[in-house]
Amino acid sequence: MKSKLLSILAFAVLTCFSMVAVAQESRNVSGQVLDEGGEPIPGVNVLLVGTSIGTVTDLDGFYQLSAVPPGATLSFSFIGFQTQETTIGNRPEINIILLEDVGLLNEVVVVGFGEQKKANLTGAVTTVDSRVLESRPVQNVGQMLQGVVPGLNLQTTGLGGELNQNLSFNIRGAGTIGAGSNSAPLVLIDGMDGNMNALNPQDIESITVLKDAAAASVYGSRAAFGVILITTKSGKQGTAKVNYSNNFRFSKPMGLPSMMDSHTFAHYYNEAAINAGRSAVFSDETLQRILQYQRGEIDYSTVPDNNGDRWMYYGGSNGNTDWFKEQYKSVSFSQDHNLSVNGGNENSKYFLSANYLDQGGLTRHGGDNFNRYSLAGKIDLKLNEKLSFNYNTRFVREYFTKSSHLNDLFYHNVARRWPTVGVYDPNGHYTDPSEIAQLRDGGKQENYTDFYYIQGQLTYTPVENWNIYASGNYRVTNWNNSANTLPAYAYDVTGNPYPLSVYYSAPGHSAVSEYNQKENFFTTNIYSDYSFDINQDHQFKVMAGFNSELNKYRNINAGRTGLITRDVIALNTATSNFTNSGAYNHWATAGFFGRVNYNYKEKYLVEVNSRYDGSSRFLADQRWNMFNSFSLGWNVANEGFWHVDQVQMLKLRGSYGELGNQNTASWYPFYLSQPFSVNAGAWLLNGLRPNIAGAPGIVSELMTWERVQSYNVGLDLAVLDNRMVINFDYFNRKTLDMVGPAEEQPVILGTAVPNVNNANLQSYGFELEVSWRDHIGDFNYDIRGVLSDDQMKVTKYPNATGNLGQGQSQWYSGRKSGEIWGYHTIEIARTQAEMDAHLENVNQSQMGSNWKAGDIMYADINGDGTVNGGSNTLSDPGDLSIIGNSTPRFRFGLDLSGQYKSFDFRVFFQGVGKRDYMPNGPYFWGAGGQNQWQAAGFDEHMDFFRDVNSPMVQAGVATVNLDGYFPRPSFDDGKNNYTQTRYLQNAAYLRLKNVQIGYSLPQTFMSKLNIGSARVYVSGENLLTFSKLSKIFDPESVGLGGWNDGKTYPFSAVYSAGLNINF
Amino acid sequence: MSTAAVFSLSSCDEYLDRAPLSEVTPDAFLNSEADLSAFTINAYSFPTHGGFSVGIFGNDNHTDNQATANAASRWIPGEYRVVQSGGVWDFGSIRNMNYYLETVLPKWKSNDISGNSTNIEHYIGEGYFLRAYEYFNKLQALGDFPILKRTLTDNREALVEASKRRPRNEVARFILSDLDSAILLMNNSPVGGTNRLTQNAAFLLKSRVALYEGTWLTYHKGTAHVPGGPGWPGAGRVDNFSIDIDQEIDFFLTEAMHAAEQVADQIPLTPNTLDNGYDSSENPYFSMYASKSLSGYPEVLLWRAYDPSLGLNHNVNHYINRNGGNTGYTRGFVDNFLMANGLPIYARGSGYSGDDDIADVKEGRDSRLQLFMKAPGELRLNDVSNPDGSPVEEGTPDITGLLETRYVTGYAVKKGLSYLFDESEGNVGSTASIVFRAAEAYLNYIEASYLKEGSLNGKASAYWRAIRERAGVNPDFMVSVTATDMAIEAKNDFGAYSAGLVLSDPILYNIRRERRSEFIAEGMRMNDLKRWRALDQLKETPYVVEGFKLWGPMQEWYKDEETGASLLVTPEDGGTPNVSSPTESLYLRPYRIVLSSTNLARDGYKWAYAHYLEPIAIQHFLITAQDGSGDAASSVIYQNPGWSLQANSGAVE
Repeated sequence: MKSKLLSILAFAVLTCFSMVAVAQESRNVSGQVLDEGGEPIPGVNVLLVGTSIGTVTDLDGFYQLSAVPPGATLSFSFIGFQTQETTIGNRPEINIILLEDVGLLNEVVVVGFGEQKKANLTGAVTTVDSRVLESRPVQNVGQMLQGVVPGLNLQTTGLGGELNQNLSFNIRGAGTIGAGSNSAPLVLIDGMDGNMNALNPQDIESITVLKDAAAASVYGSRAAFGVILITTKSGKQGTAKVNYSNNFRFSKPMGLPSMMDSHTFAHYYNEAAINAGRSAVFSDETLQRILQYQRGEIDYSTVPDNNGDRWMYYGGSNGNTDWFKEQYKSVSFSQDHNLSVNGGNENSKYFLSANYLDQGGLTRHGGDNFNRYSLAGKIDLKLNEKLSFNYNTRFVREYFTKSSHLNDLFYHNVARRWPTVGVYDPNGHYTDPSEIAQLRDGGKQENYTDFYYIQGQLTYTPVENWNIYASGNYRVTNWNNSANTLPAYAYDVTGNPYPLSVYYSAPGHSAVSEYNQKENFFTTNIYSDYSFDINQDHQFKVMAGFNSELNKYRNINAGRTGLITRDVIALNTATSNFTNSGAYNHWATAGFFGRVNYNYKEKYLVEVNSRYDGSSRFLADQRWNMFNSFSLGWNVANEGFWHVDQVQMLKLRGSYGELGNQNTASWYPFYLSQPFSVNAGAWLLNGLRPNIAGAPGIVSELMTWERVQSYNVGLDLAVLDNRMVINFDYFNRKTLDMVGPAEEQPVILGTAVPNVNNANLQSYGFELEVSWRDHIGDFNYDIRGVLSDDQMKVTKYPNATGNLGQGQSQWYSGRKSGEIWGYHTIEIARTQAEMDAHLENVNQSQMGSNWKAGDIMYADINGDGTVNGGSNTLSDPGDLSIIGNSTPRFRFGLDLSGQYKSFDFRVFFQGVGKRDYMPNGPYFWGAGGQNQWQAAGFDEHMDFFRDVNSPMVQAGVATVNLDGYFPRPSFDDGKNNYTQTRYLQNAAYLRLKNVQIGYSLPQTFMSKLNIGSARVYVSGENLLTFSKLSKIFDPESVGLGGWNDGKTYPFSAVYSAGLNINF
Repeated sequence: MSTAAVFSLSSCDEYLDRAPLSEVTPDAFLNSEADLSAFTINAYSFPTHGGFSVGIFGNDNHTDNQATANAASRWIPGEYRVVQSGGVWDFGSIRNMNYYLETVLPKWKSNDISGNSTNIEHYIGEGYFLRAYEYFNKLQALGDFPILKRTLTDNREALVEASKRRPRNEVARFILSDLDSAILLMNNSPVGGTNRLTQNAAFLLKSRVALYEGTWLTYHKGTAHVPGGPGWPGAGRVDNFSIDIDQEIDFFLTEAMHAAEQVADQIPLTPNTLDNGYDSSENPYFSMYASKSLSGYPEVLLWRAYDPSLGLNHNVNHYINRNGGNTGYTRGFVDNFLMANGLPIYARGSGYSGDDDIADVKEGRDSRLQLFMKAPGELRLNDVSNPDGSPVEEGTPDITGLLETRYVTGYAVKKGLSYLFDESEGNVGSTASIVFRAAEAYLNYIEASYLKEGSLNGKASAYWRAIRERAGVNPDFMVSVTATDMAIEAKNDFGAYSAGLVLSDPILYNIRRERRSEFIAEGMRMNDLKRWRALDQLKETPYVVEGFKLWGPMQEWYKDEETGASLLVTPEDGGTPNVSSPTESLYLRPYRIVLSSTNLARDGYKWAYAHYLEPIAIQHFLITAQDGSGDAASSVIYQNPGWSLQANSGAVE
């Protein structure tokens, strides 16, 4: 906390400083800017380097600048021309000839084992530079990339906003159904497999995403579903440059539901109980107390129970608590600091950086926190004319801590905590159900994850254009997780403590556990490339090499219970129930690869890749496989016959390739393992947990590689002096022989049918990227929009009976991913007569019984007079049909940035264009159809059907609501809660992800402080959301884990400010 | 270059050979005594305490003995439905034991298992026992069932063929044969003592299975629920079928007698000190249900131990000691207990004190009622006292409180009560859970021998007297028999019926009463009612569950301390009702508090003929249907009588 205060102070001081204006020394410079043909260029930006001072040339190309410090450098830039810099010296007049910029077309992109001119790319590749990573007040690279790269889908997952939860990602949609194999893209950081989220975003120079097989295939069997290449910054020749930047942020939880007040809640629960034919949950006496408490007539939230020793809670207590407001902070603080140094000379360059991130959590009691420390260094040495050496190290530590009690069960509990339970009991102790004692006193969990990368590469250039590379890369990852459980107490009526369960452990229990895992990952790359041409028209580049990867990990786990004291927590200070375990695992791959690039006058482009790959996951006879791909391109605009001046580039591309996917869920899919656990039995023998074992399942001997075939066609277009650039790709990717469960078998088999390669999947879609860069006078702006779509369809699946399965979620041939099966709702019956008339025609008895006004009338869509799910098969789905699709479609991002004099801004929108969602559980349904102890009562749930018979109407606490959105609530009776059209949600959204406004401080003032340049900015995250989704949910919480929909850690809206200084 | 590639390829292969480093494969397992022990102990899946409930003492809920706040769908024909998939038609546990037996037996025969040979044999015997136990669960739930003795491969045709059901009597014979193997191989002093299965447990289970099947065939004879009976769905679909039902009945009853006497002759009953119920902590018969260890109770043949510090606990006393646990005995059950003198309460000179107060109800009754039912004022905890030094005692039953802790009928369960404060805390319950106890063998013998022989033989009479003596009831059971008025019993007891008719034999009826009284709150009731076919009468005459006599003097218990106003709200009072109306009955009727039509149990328990067996889920028919037909009716599996082939439909009859 102290360090946080200091940082705030430092920030405030710096910010104030910058506001002081200082008088400047006067000096004038002027001149004219011409193009190569001698024509004047209007609108050229003339800028004093490192400042925001500048001007623009007039119609005749003239400019004039006053108040220029001596020794400064001027920069001349204009769209379509190469930027030039020149030192002013003593010259009062500086005329400049700008060279036409073929830069955009000459831009070089990092591709597999090399670089390629963007103009000559034939595969589906998107590159982003570090600009998109700047000044975003978020935790990691994944969050920064969401909505930036078309086809790179980053999706919230797990328990939502938990601080150690990264976004999940894929390229062009999931490539498998996840039944025994995975389709994760390969992430390479400076050529080595790595975790992009455990990386200081400010170290990144550029990110290239290789999307189709032709682009990715050189990486072989780990790259079947695309590659993300991250290149980190390197030292640049010149005097040492120091950069310091920081960011201070305040996060607010987003999208928390609002609980009913306790009196409304109590009546709502009574309504749900009485509608279910039960006696009321709250007695008239308790209802009275609830009112008195709300009015302030009594100050105690509960009274003793029947036995007199314990307080009553839930149905017997009378507090008034919104548990979401109680358990989450209204605001939490975070900060981020970066320092980097770089420089060098002709023979040696260096880059060093350090980063500290302190991310505060939103939980109010107990708390949670995430820290990242990163230290990176890169040295490039030219050893002699032919030999150079690069050395790269990076250390990243992630530290995550939270209360041991803070977990999925807790998020589940928050929603089902009744508002009638008080935070404090009448004696002032935290109440038993509040779980606050457990959060505060129940111990904590601390996870350290250390990543250590060492990379070395030797480059030998025997003759010009022939390079031989040899690199060794080593990564060590250490997980050191410790967790402890300490006794936490509630208090009885007389103030005596009694212990509570912390998470799932027994009350009063204390325990400590340690988990260590070490992963050693070693890769080598040896390859060589040679480029040459024939008559300058025929340009060739050939490359061949070898790559191997070996991953080994080992872990050890130990625990004890019975801590001697809660002040010293370690294995050594705990006394009983010693447990330990440990395991080793490993896998390896090896591959030979080659590539030939050919182009004729940069008009006709050809690339052929080949890779011969082996994996340890398959037995020797299945192990090796050859994968080939090729791609073609035609630069139409380079043709002699092309005379459209507005079009600088028009390129058609096409590619086809096949890759194998070795990413099986099990590292040893061919080995049948014996289920066996030590001291794990639940049936005690002689007072101890016995060892236990069970029957092994079945393994198929037929399992082999999944084949991933990928087709891509694309178009690149640059028009209007390269102001507008358009890239479009259409892809169709087939996962053949996909691993899936074998054909459904009669359950008499007694075990799960083994996975085999017996299904096919197709993913298809498109990506579009449009950018526009221009200026209006002094105002430079940049617009970039991306749009992508992917769908996934199972084209072959062994499901002979067409069984739709539990929740109609079973795969079958022709099923699209995300299909939602459900019933058609006619509407809620407003009167008993209306319901009876409906039941005259339609038998709903298989959906439930006791149909009343306020219940759902389902449509008999197959016209058989009965509403039901038929045989739950494709051929007989009864009245079930596909009513929607939960796949996020048409993901988009819109990035607007601009600069005006000293000010700059960025506005970034991100969203999903189409998505259906059928929420389930108490978050959505409230008490309707839920068990009393799982149900919830939020403000939105009050919009339920009420006629004059409603207990709440009769009690005079609610008015008749015949147009209610929800059906009449009734505990445990799910007849109104089937997946159905009425409640299908539109989960499409548009979110203002980031807004930032920066101001660059005046140069003259900064130079007195020896500061090269400085920028202050404010930046906000998740500031606005547009969606038609029920207000109970955040659109990004759709489809997450947790006990039910919505039961996750909240996401946050962030407000931040920061500073960026160059020395 | 190419030679280099070939060279590296072969060295690569070695580099890529990576077998698991810390897992064993199945062929390295089940080679030692310890492996066998680990396998079978993991397959113990007996009903025991657990979770937030009164544990096994709630397993008689939803019967005429015991009621919980909301009625089960099995009493509401139409609401108990065929499911789409899953259900009891499941073979995971059976495959587990088949794998074990087929792997272990050859190794055992060739002497390839290391360790103590007695223990090895015992663990193999356990394999047979556990398969028999799984099969008995299937027999009770589904009746006819496939008989499977080995694991299968994923060959569709073979699996369909294997899915064919066999007649239930064959299934029962298969179970008995497994238990015979178990009896041969097991001993009575395994490692772990009575935490482990024993030969005695195998004898007891054998008597239970044989009695179950023998009585099922007896009472369901002539219905579709018996192989070969009219409308039996297996007719024409079961190969090689023939049955002589009377011979089968005789066979099973004989087997039941023989197995039962092996246990009953050997194992004495835990003594009962016949205290008045205020403080039974020193009474072994009471503490047998509430002790941490039961190794000192020979009557207990198998029990499960708990240790909260090892993460194994329950909440039995969090409920039983502190509150009503959302359960309670029915008035019918309580009234069914005899007086200590052996007379029914209604008999002339019985000495019954009436039911104006719970204490009166217990006075002079069968000790089992006195011990295992709570009354206000009885001691609750003996290791702590109230702040004023007075003992902590049971209060008046909270019949309107929170559902989870409610005294549903006013007559509260006391079986399993521990007088220790720590046991009553949440998630730290550590009292043992009984799985098998020898008293059942006594009762199984009495019933089987009486049915087989038509009279009570000397052994049966001796067993019965032993049970009654322990229960503090006049050992002369004929006193009870002669005083029994079946017309009155028929109001209190489903067990007074078979096939919709009131029993005419008062001896048989009193044998059934003895069973009901001895197994108070032990979860045996529903299976007894099913095998006796004792629920047919509910098709015509629904049964309204009643509790204690609320609308007598005991209504005074429910007054606001300050104002003196009654806290009871009846349906006709307006407001939020929390009790049933005195105008229809002086006794609390837990399913008559809410009278709106939303309360499907408001007219009482009803029955459908189909409910004697469970339905098989629809998906199992579809997957075994004739190729591609998708027609459930063409499956080799047939549905149980009275159930349809439509998911989510209720019983047809």
